[in-house]
Amino acid sequence: MADKTSGDLPLEARLRRLEEILASMESDEVPLEEALRLFEEGVVHVREAERVLASAELRVEELLASGRLRPLDVQKD
Amino acid sequence: MESEATLDLFGSEGEGDTPAPPPPPPVEVRPKVWSVSQVNRAVRGLLESSVDPLWVGGEVAGWTRSRAGHCYFGLKDERAQLRCVMFGREAAQLPTDPEEGMQVRVFGELTLYEAKGDYQLVARRVEAEGAEGLWRLAFEKLRAKLEGEGLLAPERKRRLPRVPACVGVVTSRDGAALHDILSVLARRAPWTRVVLRSTKVQGEGAALEIAAALEALGASGLADVIIVGRGGGSVEDLWAFNEEPVARAIAACPVFVVSAVGHEIDVTISDLVADLRAPTPSAAAEAVVPDASVVLEMLRRAPGRLGRALGAGSERRRAALEQRVRRLERTIERRFVPARQSLDTAAARLERAAHAGVDRRRSSLVALGGRLDALSPLSTLGRGYAVPRAPSGRVLRAVGDFPSGFRFHLRVADGSVAAESAGPIEREDAFG
Repeated sequence: MADKTSGDLPLEARLRRLEEILASMESDEVPLEEALRLFEEGVVHVREAERVLASAELRVEELLASGRLRPLDVQKD
Repeated sequence: MESEATLDLFGSEGEGDTPAPPPPPPVEVRPKVWSVSQVNRAVRGLLESSVDPLWVGGEVAGWTRSRAGHCYFGLKDERAQLRCVMFGREAAQLPTDPEEGMQVRVFGELTLYEAKGDYQLVARRVEAEGAEGLWRLAFEKLRAKLEGEGLLAPERKRRLPRVPACVGVVTSRDGAALHDILSVLARRAPWTRVVLRSTKVQGEGAALEIAAALEALGASGLADVIIVGRGGGSVEDLWAFNEEPVARAIAACPVFVVSAVGHEIDVTISDLVADLRAPTPSAAAEAVVPDASVVLEMLRRAPGRLGRALGAGSERRRAALEQRVRRLERTIERRFVPARQSLDTAAARLERAAHAGVDRRRSSLVALGGRLDALSPLSTLGRGYAVPRAPSGRVLRAVGDFPSGFRFHLRVADGSVAAESAGPIEREDAFG
């Protein structure tokens, strides 16, 4: 479960997992223990997703011909 | 010498009978003889000095392109034909070769090709009649070719990731397009990572640069979706996006590609090959990321849905659970204490983020913490249920788990108590 909820999971994957959890809890007769586990996992995904959304700075990099990445400082209003 | 001869001539007319004088000694009358080269050079000079560069309209006949890139063709009307040549440097600027019989206008200078003595028009520009002329023709030719290969088929379109973690951008580092894209991403989805591959977006070599950038960015594996484009401009300015290398690079790209070239009305070949055509760079950015408020709305609803699902499940299980509730206990303490702690830290983090004033919409998220507490399964324990577990932590669920004298723990709403089994009882439905 640690890998499913870890902090560096992409937002997309997290939201997809959250929907899976919701769908499974809403449709299947999952055993109580499993339902509790899913609930907990879902709560962690909600929290983590919110944490990601709260990061306010767009990160902009430039991919150079050498294949290296260089942070790009640009005006973005 | 000439006047003398003329006088003689008159003399002989006047005096018919006079015997002819002896013929004058032969005089060398040598007309000036020009060499062919001299003549051609002289006529060429005349032509070039006396006729200013001009536009000539006519029908294209016999257009051929040499290996060196020079184009030779005739311009004709009903009665006459004019030889024309367009040298490689200018011919390379043509979007495509005109077709036989096409009405065109040619701008150039009249000259004479000394080696052959042909006079001809050295064409600097060739334009087809009608709006966009040759550009339109080139566009249609390439579109037909790509269509024939199936590269424009709707079923080739890839799926747009709902929340891309990384957006790749192929455009000029200095263009307005990049600025517009970044503004929109920063406003709608500031958590996004952006990787730019800067290229020329017009002029010689731009198409190949754009194609190479798409390939590099696609191969890097960084981007979940790529925006390729530039701001508005003339047909010539946008032309790179109508060239075959760009079209093929888009088709070969491993990830979803949005093409955003110019303003609303400009449709390019790259728009047709891409998975999505956006009317402007800003619109492309809007299309690839969800608005933060939409994602937040989904997240806001999630705890409620989770809680209701858990509750509904509990209702369905109620009968079975209640039959066994005196004998079966479950330990969830081990599971819940760490979960509670992580919820608390998450709530604290969330509150900090909200207070940081990141976005006023987010402040309402603080309310979530309270709602989640209400939904927690711990409140089930508060209604009078308890969960038994062995000292090892194992959840005890069957009569066989409770031999007489077995010591175990009971997790109740506000803590745990030690308990001891008095052994199984006869009637199973003692409860309810």
